[in-house]
Amino acid sequence: MSNTPNTSQSPAVEKEGPITRLLRATEIDARILGMAAALLVIWAGFDIYSRLFSTIGFDSDGLIFGGSFITPRNLWNLLNQTASIAIMSTGMLLLIVMRQLDLSIGSMLSTVAVAIGTLQVFRLAPALGEGNRAIWIIAVFGALALGSFMGWFNGVLVAYARIPAFIVTLGGLIAYGGLAWAIIRGETVAPMDSTFELLGGNVPQYSLGVFWSWVVAVVAISGIVYSIWNSRRQRQRFNFPLRPMWAEWFLGAAGSVMVGLLTWVVTIYPWAPNVIKQWATDHHITVPAGIEDKDGNAICMAGEQMVRCVHGYIVYTGYSIPFMIAVGVGLAMSFVATRTSFGRHIYATGGNPEAAELSGINTKKLTVKVFILMGFLVGIGSIITSARLNAATNSLGQSNELYVIAAVVIGGTSLSGGIGTVSGAMLGALLMQSLQSGMTLLNFESAFRDMVVGAVLVAAVFVDQLYRRSVK
Amino acid sequence: MKNIVKAVMLGALAATAMGGVANAAGKTIAVSWKTFQEERWKGDEATIKAVVEAAGDKYISSDAQGSAQKQAADIEGLIAQKPDVIMVVAFDADAILPSIKKISDAGIKSIAYDVQFEDPNALYITFDNVGVGRIMAKEVLKVKPEGNYAFIKGDKGDPNATFLFQGQLEVLKAQMDAGKIKNVCETFTDGWKPDNAQKNMEQCLTSTKNKVDAVLSENDGMASGVVAALKAQGMAGTVPVSGQDGDLAAINRVALGTQTVSVWKDTAQLGKAAANAAIALADGTAIDKIPGVAKFNGGKKKVEMNAILLAPTPITKDNIGDAIKAGHITKEQACAGVKDNAACK
Repeated sequence: MSNTPNTSQSPAVEKEGPITRLLRATEIDARILGMAAALLVIWAGFDIYSRLFSTIGFDSDGLIFGGSFITPRNLWNLLNQTASIAIMSTGMLLLIVMRQLDLSIGSMLSTVAVAIGTLQVFRLAPALGEGNRAIWIIAVFGALALGSFMGWFNGVLVAYARIPAFIVTLGGLIAYGGLAWAIIRGETVAPMDSTFELLGGNVPQYSLGVFWSWVVAVVAISGIVYSIWNSRRQRQRFNFPLRPMWAEWFLGAAGSVMVGLLTWVVTIYPWAPNVIKQWATDHHITVPAGIEDKDGNAICMAGEQMVRCVHGYIVYTGYSIPFMIAVGVGLAMSFVATRTSFGRHIYATGGNPEAAELSGINTKKLTVKVFILMGFLVGIGSIITSARLNAATNSLGQSNELYVIAAVVIGGTSLSGGIGTVSGAMLGALLMQSLQSGMTLLNFESAFRDMVVGAVLVAAVFVDQLYRRSVK
Repeated sequence: MKNIVKAVMLGALAATAMGGVANAAGKTIAVSWKTFQEERWKGDEATIKAVVEAAGDKYISSDAQGSAQKQAADIEGLIAQKPDVIMVVAFDADAILPSIKKISDAGIKSIAYDVQFEDPNALYITFDNVGVGRIMAKEVLKVKPEGNYAFIKGDKGDPNATFLFQGQLEVLKAQMDAGKIKNVCETFTDGWKPDNAQKNMEQCLTSTKNKVDAVLSENDGMASGVVAALKAQGMAGTVPVSGQDGDLAAINRVALGTQTVSVWKDTAQLGKAAANAAIALADGTAIDKIPGVAKFNGGKKKVEMNAILLAPTPITKDNIGDAIKAGHITKEQACAGVKDNAACK
């Protein structure tokens, strides 16, 4: 029960600094706040760096510092690139909280991806006809089922055969890697079914667009407000200490502003000119001859060149499908972790397995369930990864297990069990992908990139340790 | 347990003895394979065996199962069978050298098949790897003689990634020096993985604001990632992309026009060349008199060796028919979704 901060009414209140007071009043986990701050520092750093040292010298559409990192396009890409790892990190989080581990998820992802890839391309497409709507549905269910099955298999070996998870999944890492190779014999299946491909978010025409993105934003903000109101009401009902009113307002406002900002960013990322052109041709839209804006960018037709508009409007992308899936998974997993007895049992078992077992929790069954959940999430990850690439091969997903574990650990999860949050793990994934994307964007050498990511992993755990000691 | 070991040893002895007897008829060509875990080596073996047996010679082999120690023992076993030539696919290019010395000490000729080991007495047969890079650059250069080039290189731990890049630069150098071609992104790709290549390409397009005119991807897998990234920007098919390996999916992309070239190393061709060279060596031809042999010293230690470097085949939209005819790919696979390629009609 160590992860639920206690009351806000302690005698020490007067002596606290403003940040500590804010944290205590709003009950925001300091580690999450620290990570968010680190993320912003990293983003700003990359953006400023790219502004100062850009060797390419192209014009910038940077939102804050005029660099190439904090641009709608890069942030949109970043969210898309993070989705698969972030989704899998929520499952790994529960495993690690339960003092388990799954090293096999990278190889599982390859296996599932090549299995559903060959299924679509070599079995379903010839049988049902290419482009049949049933193909992607069967492929998706196939991926989820196969992933869950492999997770179940791991779980049974861990829980009932009593083989340590490290060994079972290390074996899985090697064996499933071989299985993936055997299914496809080192080849690549491509392209995927045309509807399935949309799940990867790589086709901008099938992102949410401006209208639906703002609908999502409004729903999200209403959700935030409702949950704050609801939690206050519940606390009143059970006579729990309340957050001060200003803290409630602060939380609501901060949440809404973040959702609004993010939505704004993704809704000002325009389709690529060629995509608009293709769209216009496909839909028999005549594009009006255009004008140039003050920077000389064509906003419609400029001679032969047509940029960023159809009917005089720019077409904007909005939230991508993988991002929406990741958000959905994040919310569901948060709910599972904090609001269900299943979730509380996981934390209890991780905190003290013997006590949990003695208090009547069937830890074996629980272990198997969590492994199945992990496998299910790997299934989702493999759908997104292979759809995004529009191809499947046995090297897909290799070493993903390391990135996922790193994300979970950076996200403040204790490897000794019992402590960790879903949002932390997902933020950890975003932080790591930010580092990698940013350094690639700036053309840093990949050896240097690896060194930085490794160092950040270790440093994050070190800071976390310091924080925990100071809290005690 | 002991009994099993004994039985295996007796069996091995018997096999060796029988091999020795059968030797009397024709020449014997031995091959020490490093592994059969990768599918291609089985194909190479079939080719070599067919050519050797067609010439009336005998083929013997061993499989090191991916172990340098086992390969050393294998080679001792092969030497004991007194073949005329031993061909070696080395698992470890340095650890194999003492075994190669044993081969020459026994008066047997050695061939380094596809994997180089630097022994001056051996014949090295492989595809010209620097040449692969050159061919990629040449084909892309034909389409885009000037503009912004992106280089998606392979894994930084693999020397081939750098060889390929060198080959590309050799071809592009004149245009780069003249300022016609600009290197706008250059990045290694962890594990040669397509999804990493996709991310790298996305970042490259972001940082250059889509001002990329050509992409030199070092293999077909990564090319699939590059094409996916280009597709998201509506640029697939207008920007030339290179690759190598003759992946089936890549040949389909070449037919579709989203990839410009897949440099294909036809391993059957390599196997045939090696088998013929082995037969010639067994018949007593001097090593430097074998057709196609030239001096080569491009290895790590710069040892000068006799080598046969085969030229790989660039598969472009103009010669897809050849890959279909060679039986490397079926017409259905190559032509899925293709409307305007002559070979697909």
